[in-house]
Amino acid sequence: MAEEKLEAALDEKEESLSETGVHQFMTFKSGSECYGIELKYVNEIMGIQPITEIPEVEDYIKGLINLRGKIVPVIDVRIRFKQAPFEYNDRTCIIIVDVKNTVIGLIVETIADVVTIKDEDIEPPPALSSGKLKNKYVYGLGKTGDSVKLLLDPEKLIKDEDLQVLDEVVDEEG
Amino acid sequence: MGDELDSMLDMYLYENGQLLEQLEMTTLEKKDEDSFDEEDINLFFRVMHTIKGSSGIMMFDDIMKLSHKLEDVFFYIRESHPDNVPHLELVEKILAVSDFLREEFENIKDGGEPTKSSAGLIKDIDKFLGKLKNEILEEDKELPEAPKDEGPTQFYIGAAGGEHFKYYHIIAYYRNDTQMSNIHAYALANSLKEITEEMYYSPEDIITNEASGDVILEQGFKILIKTNLELEDVKAALGGFDVESTDVSQCSKDEFEAGFDVPAPIVGSDTIDLGEGDKEVKEEKKEEAEVKPGDYVIESKSAGKKATLAKNKKPKAPATSYISVNVNKIDQLMDLIGEIVIAESVVLQNPDLNVPGLNLTNFNKSAAQLTKFVSEMQDVIMSMRMMTLTNTFQKMNRIVFDTSRKVGKDIEFKMIGENTEVDKNIIEHISDPLMHMIRNSIDHGIEEKADRKAAGKPEKGVITLEAKNEGGKVLISVSDDGGGMNPEKLFAKAKKNGIVPRDKTISDYTNKEIYQFITSPGFSTKEKVTELSGRGVGMDVVMQNIQSVGGMLEIDSEFGKGSTMTLKIPLTLAIISGILLKVGEQKFVIETGSVKEFINVRGSSIIKEPDGEEYLNVRGQYYSVVRLSEKYHIKNSAKNIEDGIMILTENESQKLCIFVDKLLGGQEIVVKPIPEYIKKVEGLSGCTQLGDGSIALILDIGTLATQ
Repeated sequence: MAEEKLEAALDEKEESLSETGVHQFMTFKSGSECYGIELKYVNEIMGIQPITEIPEVEDYIKGLINLRGKIVPVIDVRIRFKQAPFEYNDRTCIIIVDVKNTVIGLIVETIADVVTIKDEDIEPPPALSSGKLKNKYVYGLGKTGDSVKLLLDPEKLIKDEDLQVLDEVVDEEG
Repeated sequence: MGDELDSMLDMYLYENGQLLEQLEMTTLEKKDEDSFDEEDINLFFRVMHTIKGSSGIMMFDDIMKLSHKLEDVFFYIRESHPDNVPHLELVEKILAVSDFLREEFENIKDGGEPTKSSAGLIKDIDKFLGKLKNEILEEDKELPEAPKDEGPTQFYIGAAGGEHFKYYHIIAYYRNDTQMSNIHAYALANSLKEITEEMYYSPEDIITNEASGDVILEQGFKILIKTNLELEDVKAALGGFDVESTDVSQCSKDEFEAGFDVPAPIVGSDTIDLGEGDKEVKEEKKEEAEVKPGDYVIESKSAGKKATLAKNKKPKAPATSYISVNVNKIDQLMDLIGEIVIAESVVLQNPDLNVPGLNLTNFNKSAAQLTKFVSEMQDVIMSMRMMTLTNTFQKMNRIVFDTSRKVGKDIEFKMIGENTEVDKNIIEHISDPLMHMIRNSIDHGIEEKADRKAAGKPEKGVITLEAKNEGGKVLISVSDDGGGMNPEKLFAKAKKNGIVPRDKTISDYTNKEIYQFITSPGFSTKEKVTELSGRGVGMDVVMQNIQSVGGMLEIDSEFGKGSTMTLKIPLTLAIISGILLKVGEQKFVIETGSVKEFINVRGSSIIKEPDGEEYLNVRGQYYSVVRLSEKYHIKNSAKNIEDGIMILTENESQKLCIFVDKLLGGQEIVVKPIPEYIKKVEGLSGCTQLGDGSIALILDIGTLATQ
């Protein structure tokens, strides 16, 4: 049921973008928290697929999947968040996101819903916790009803922190 | 921006880009000669005229003005044949204009507007033109007028410009029994087109409508032309073509513009298929030498002048017809054929076929045929992606020209094998490396003139760019006859920069290994950093670029005699034949070409060093062994050497044994890159999709062995 709603939301995402001050988020559960990723980044959602592992890469990169002839890398969001790994089952989903033309699959425990959050309901994460590693992916806390979603910055999510440092060094030199 | 405008812009950029390329190519081809020949001048004129016209439509004023100015120069040269054209200066001017235009086109392509002002260049060219004209004036020759700017909308270029146009009304009558008079009429019109500025004829559908022949027989073939020819000349031009009689009368401009009932403007083009009539036209043209387009200009305007201005004229290669296709479509086709190859193997090796007792005779026959067609199709599609290196080589020619002038060295550039074909994707990747290599050769390789003289070499340095096919690879080499590299100096420098460990001495390395140091990042022995090279970036960039297409760089040099750098690149990246193998649950592919032998090993032929390194004894030869399961930490794989199989591979004369669990079979595979998101893994060059939809990783023996 949630899936149907998602499909519909994905179809309509173009139109919904035109409204200002309102953002749609796809939410999923990872561990005990509920995370949100802005719908504009989401291409599609699929069940878990056979994954071809790639040796000698970061542990959160689980490997490659074959998405209708396109080869797409997938990352495990739990491991990305430095949480304990989980067993994949038939509720496990892969969210295919497109971040600046990089297409990547996010493996999440279960997807929840599409929610609409207004700008004024989004708050930056409290400054106190900003030193913590995990919060660099979270750019805001979104309030919907009585629950809070951790809103993810997909660019930071898929980018490797080491790579980022490297990029900056290169940028400075160049 | 609307779609229509976008596509117009695309077309504009594409067409003019091509013209510009043609212009530059011809210019560079002739840069070492004394002058351009007449054909070239005509070509330049046409190119500039077209660019001017289309830029006018697109409202790119500066481009229009500039191309107009250069067109003036060519017009002048064509019409007056000045004797003392400073050739090199003209080449420079052409290249300057072409650079300017190219830059502006790039700007426009990136979605911007042409921003630069061409005023400076125009002034330059004006000065140049003035100089040309003065020289002529001194010789008391008549100056033709610059062509009138016909306005940007007109693309048709007559063979001659000039201000004083006359208008003629022509009626050509044919004998009543003339067969296919419409074709004759077309031939006539076609030949007139060469000598007119503008032309209309009636009936206008002479090619498509055979019935028009009857109209021509009955009423004559009516033509209106605008030209700067005299009446006699027009009459002369009408001779032949099986015309019985002609009626030529001069008319006023207004009459001309009024035209027939439905005037049909002729746009200069020779693309209309004449079918059989075409032959006739050609035959008739032979007889009618005076109306051939090339001769006309010479004979009528400057009788007594020799026709060819340059010394040697190359025979023209027969033209092949091309259509330009969007690269995306070719890529799509490429992907599709890849999928078909995969689908084919899924069907032909379908487990459903393994039912005992099934009669598959007919199926197998059809299957064999399918396989044949699919592989043929694959070959054709692959060849579609293949391009000759001609353009790349021409670009290099340009770079040699510019660079050698900048550094003040006299250089002869030789190109060999520019017709070698390489996959388009690869061409894109080697252009930059080649440029670096050539600049290096000019800047570092070739010595200063004085040094060359001292070394007993001719002052003019020679750089040779050569391409050839060799065993599924393309070798592109850049060699110079310059100073060569000094291994001792290189070694000292490498040591200073920390590229070599301190405890190593020069005797630990072969010369070739030492030459390879120059590809290390931050390595430059040139004391002086110049604009062109010497910052130490360059060769490592070259290396990266080449490696990204699976290529290699080989450097050879002889101190005092020159250096040769050879790029070895694969012909194509897209489809390779591979051997599928399995380690644990993981599937890998090895390129068939690099596999020498499969060996079932007995434990006794393995030698193990204390540090874990293993060697395999094959008929008395020892090879080092890589266990994929250990290298990539793959679980559930064969540990015992007798449970798996050893693959002896060879890459660039380097032999390596790879230990795997089992072989799954040979297969044509479509190479896909590992998504960029994943950092490069040592020993893997790509991935591929298998018949069952799963993904296999492609092993790169070259980097697998480097550890």
